[in-house]
Amino acid sequence: MNAYAATFTVSCKAEDRREVVTLQREARLNRFFVDVEKRALRIAEISIRDRDEALDLVQDAMIKFACNYAGRPDAEWTPLFYRILQNRIRDWQRRQAVKNKVMVFFERGTGEDDYDPIAAAPDTAGRSPDQELQNEEVMEGLQGALVALSGRQREAFMLRMFEGLNVAGTAVAMGCSEGSVKTHYSRAVHSLRETLGEHWQ
Amino acid sequence: MNERDDVAIDDALVNKAQQLFDESVNGLDGATRSRLNRGRQAALSEVSGGARRFNQWIRAGGVAAAAIALMVVWSGNQELDIPQVPEVATDMEILLDEDSLEMIEDLEFYSWIDLDGDLEPVSNVG
Repeated sequence: MNAYAATFTVSCKAEDRREVVTLQREARLNRFFVDVEKRALRIAEISIRDRDEALDLVQDAMIKFACNYAGRPDAEWTPLFYRILQNRIRDWQRRQAVKNKVMVFFERGTGEDDYDPIAAAPDTAGRSPDQELQNEEVMEGLQGALVALSGRQREAFMLRMFEGLNVAGTAVAMGCSEGSVKTHYSRAVHSLRETLGEHWQ
Repeated sequence: MNERDDVAIDDALVNKAQQLFDESVNGLDGATRSRLNRGRQAALSEVSGGARRFNQWIRAGGVAAAAIALMVVWSGNQELDIPQVPEVATDMEILLDEDSLEMIEDLEFYSWIDLDGDLEPVSNVG
């Protein structure tokens, strides 16, 4: 009987260890998401030009990543997370293209008239409204130029420059070879320079 | 314009794009940050929920294993409680022995021998 009790105790201790490991993994995941989520949102938003939808895509990507890839080595997390996100973005764009064809006459309300007190709060970075406006205009220009790129060029540029992934990491995130990443990135920079060069020099 | 100038222009463009992007990231409003936080918590709850479900299965498995172990121990004790074989069975075993059967078949002969042994010798008569 003692043998059975000992087995049961060992089982409980193993369970405790598993809980500790789960908690540690949760903490690491939390730090990873905090680090990556804002840039991921902006990258998704630039790609699909809709913040609400971008927020949903980022959340979906986080859930998918947490469920399926949290056990992978930490060094692989960023490229894998962006691979999920990029797949979500492409799926969304495909769905949207079909939706646009079907619902030509349908117009969604933009909700621009709704007052949002949080959005209306003063800028914590201390920028003046003029500076903000100027930055927004330049950012709009950049976003427009990025949207004009092909999907793969845009992905390569944003992952390399905005997320700071290296060529190998970008290749994992894009699901292509490192050579393709270099080609897409080079063409993206060339196109951006042609579009923005005059205003940015 | 030579190649060095091209590279310098490209670097300037990339740096400015990075700077703008970082500013837009840092300038995200509170509502957006709050939604990101909620999304993150939802993702993390999937991890803890999955682990909790796994632990529940482990716990249920442990309880089932303990129940099976108790059953095994209990049924083992039941076997030990079987009553001892009575002595009558031992007699039966002797009786059913092959030699004993022969004796039973020739019971008449053995009775005569036994009776003959009880008689006095002929020489002693008279």
